[in-house]
Amino acid sequence: MSMVYINIFLAFILSLMGMLVYRSHLMSSLLCLEGMMLSLFVMMSVTILNNHLTLASMMPIVLLVFAACEAALGLSLLVMVSNTYGTDYVQNLNLLQC
Amino acid sequence: MNMFSSCMITALVILTLPIIMSSTKLYKNKLYPYYVKTTTSYAFMISMIPTMMFIYSEQETIISNWHWMTIQTMKLSMSFKLDYFSMIFVPVALFVTWSIMEFSMWYMHSDPYINRFFKYLLLFLITMMVLVTANNMFQLFIGWEGVGIMSFLLIGWWYGRTDANTAALQAVLYNRIGDVGFIMTMAWFLLNLNTWDLQQIFITTNDNFNLPLLGLLLAATGKSAQFGLHPWLPSAMEGPTPVSALLHSSTMVVAGVFLLIRFHPLMEHNQTIQTLTLCLGAITTLFTAICALTQNDIKKIVAFSTSSQLGLMMVTIGINQPYLAFLHICTHAFFKAMLFMCSGSVIHSLNDEQDIRKMGGLFKVLPFTTTSLIIGSLALTGMPFLTGFYSKDLIIESANTSNTNAWALLITLVATSLTAAYSTRIMFFALLGQPRFSPMILINENNPLLINSIKRLLIGSVFAGYIISHSITPTTIPQMTMPHYLKMTALAVTTLGFILALELNLTTQGLKFNYPSNYFKFSSLLGYYPTIMHRLTPKTSLTISQKSASMLLDSIWLENILPKSISYFQMKSSTLISNQKGLIKLYFLSFMLTMILSLLILNYHG
Repeated sequence: MSMVYINIFLAFILSLMGMLVYRSHLMSSLLCLEGMMLSLFVMMSVTILNNHLTLASMMPIVLLVFAACEAALGLSLLVMVSNTYGTDYVQNLNLLQC
Repeated sequence: MNMFSSCMITALVILTLPIIMSSTKLYKNKLYPYYVKTTTSYAFMISMIPTMMFIYSEQETIISNWHWMTIQTMKLSMSFKLDYFSMIFVPVALFVTWSIMEFSMWYMHSDPYINRFFKYLLLFLITMMVLVTANNMFQLFIGWEGVGIMSFLLIGWWYGRTDANTAALQAVLYNRIGDVGFIMTMAWFLLNLNTWDLQQIFITTNDNFNLPLLGLLLAATGKSAQFGLHPWLPSAMEGPTPVSALLHSSTMVVAGVFLLIRFHPLMEHNQTIQTLTLCLGAITTLFTAICALTQNDIKKIVAFSTSSQLGLMMVTIGINQPYLAFLHICTHAFFKAMLFMCSGSVIHSLNDEQDIRKMGGLFKVLPFTTTSLIIGSLALTGMPFLTGFYSKDLIIESANTSNTNAWALLITLVATSLTAAYSTRIMFFALLGQPRFSPMILINENNPLLINSIKRLLIGSVFAGYIISHSITPTTIPQMTMPHYLKMTALAVTTLGFILALELNLTTQGLKFNYPSNYFKFSSLLGYYPTIMHRLTPKTSLTISQKSASMLLDSIWLENILPKSISYFQMKSSTLISNQKGLIKLYFLSFMLTMILSLLILNYHG
């Protein structure tokens, strides 16, 4: 596997770690989610362009659309939490209530 | 031969004369009640002629007078059936009514509308005669409705009193429920047998007479105050005492039993209906006897006694003895009317006091009334060789020796002993002991109207049973031989009831009255039946109609069925099922750890 792929793959792993391990702000998790999406997009585009899989050129666009949707969803959840508590500290999420 | 029909028609027409005269000046006359009374006595004497002819020659007559109309294939005419039942009942009813009219000339003496009262009584008598002599169901229904209407007008005689109006309405409504059964029977006969004539009904065979007989049973339940449609009878005591004596003891309430007796050829082959009648009558007789034990109004006790005897008549029909039931109707009329008249005498003498707790010591003050009250009560309980014995003892014997429902029989025996118990209660509280009424009353029973009327019924109460049962043609053969303990049953339970009641009354006379026990409350509130049925049923139907009218379409169908029910369900189930605590960092960390571990292990394995 060439160096490009390993690089992008490493970026993905780093963002994953960043999403799973964080201190208190929920926002950092969402940001790392965006990073994962970005690295996936780049990897997908590089693979398709290098191997001339023209027919699969649609897939990065679709991935972008779905990433936008899930970002919106994640942000709305963040706003709901922030409406109740004022901040987005993750230790506030101990009640089963909005 | 010709005298039969002409005498009977004469007797019936004589009765209608005062009604026809009511548009003339005669009606405003002070002597109008006297005319009505003499009319009734003449009608009685004239009707005795056909009766004696019937007893002598045992011939029955059907008088078909006037062809009224023909509806497609059914012919309606005015016809009178003068057979065993109507021939014996008409003189008995006329005799009792004669005495009651004489009594009410004394009782209603100070009433300004006494003429109207007598007109109503006479109208009632005429409709009762129509009912009894009817040969087709249409005429019977005319009489049936007529007695219902007159009962309504007479119960609500003192219409200024709310209780009287309520009681009259109650009587009409309960009777109406029974009328539904009657009309159903008429419709069934019209559809299946194409007739309303009794003769054609009896000769047409059919497999299953269940439905019309059920309708007749419902009609009898309504009119004769059997259990389920019984509360109107004690409430009907709001009417004046002559009304209670005539309608609600001898004549009107037996119309239901009379109807079933008329249809006995249909009933004698139908075991289901007989069992239903038996059980219904047994429940009625026991329930009303229990309720009579703790009442304090003398008229109510006698009313419940009537209801209990009506249940006994239904029991008799249920063991397939219609002739005995009819005999009991005739003998019961005498002593029950007399009991009501004696209680009327007591009430009037004590200045309109009806509570037995405020009577007492009338033994020396009203000797004649006391005598007749005691004789009436003894006749009611079946004292040997008084009137009641000839019918009641025969009924108990037949029930004992027939292949019948043992539970119903046991209940009837218990009710018989309770009859003796509450009769003792009346006599003990009203007659014996020291007076409990105010001493400022002038008590005088020395009025020939009162004395003569009660005297006539007194002689009837003593001798009528003997005379009737030895004059009538033989009917179903009574059971002649039975073990001696079965023969003595009625007498034994009655004596037991008397002794027990007397002992209890004597021993508890001076004791303080504690809080009522549950059994006392059950008995004196009439088994909670009126309380429940008169409140719960209307409230339920009104609530259902209100809810279905206002809430059904709008709030239930448009709002609640899908949207709100889904959201409610989701919320409830999510709170029920989920047990998360929101430990996000823990979940993320464990996920990461699992990934790393799996990568390491798989790498090592590869």
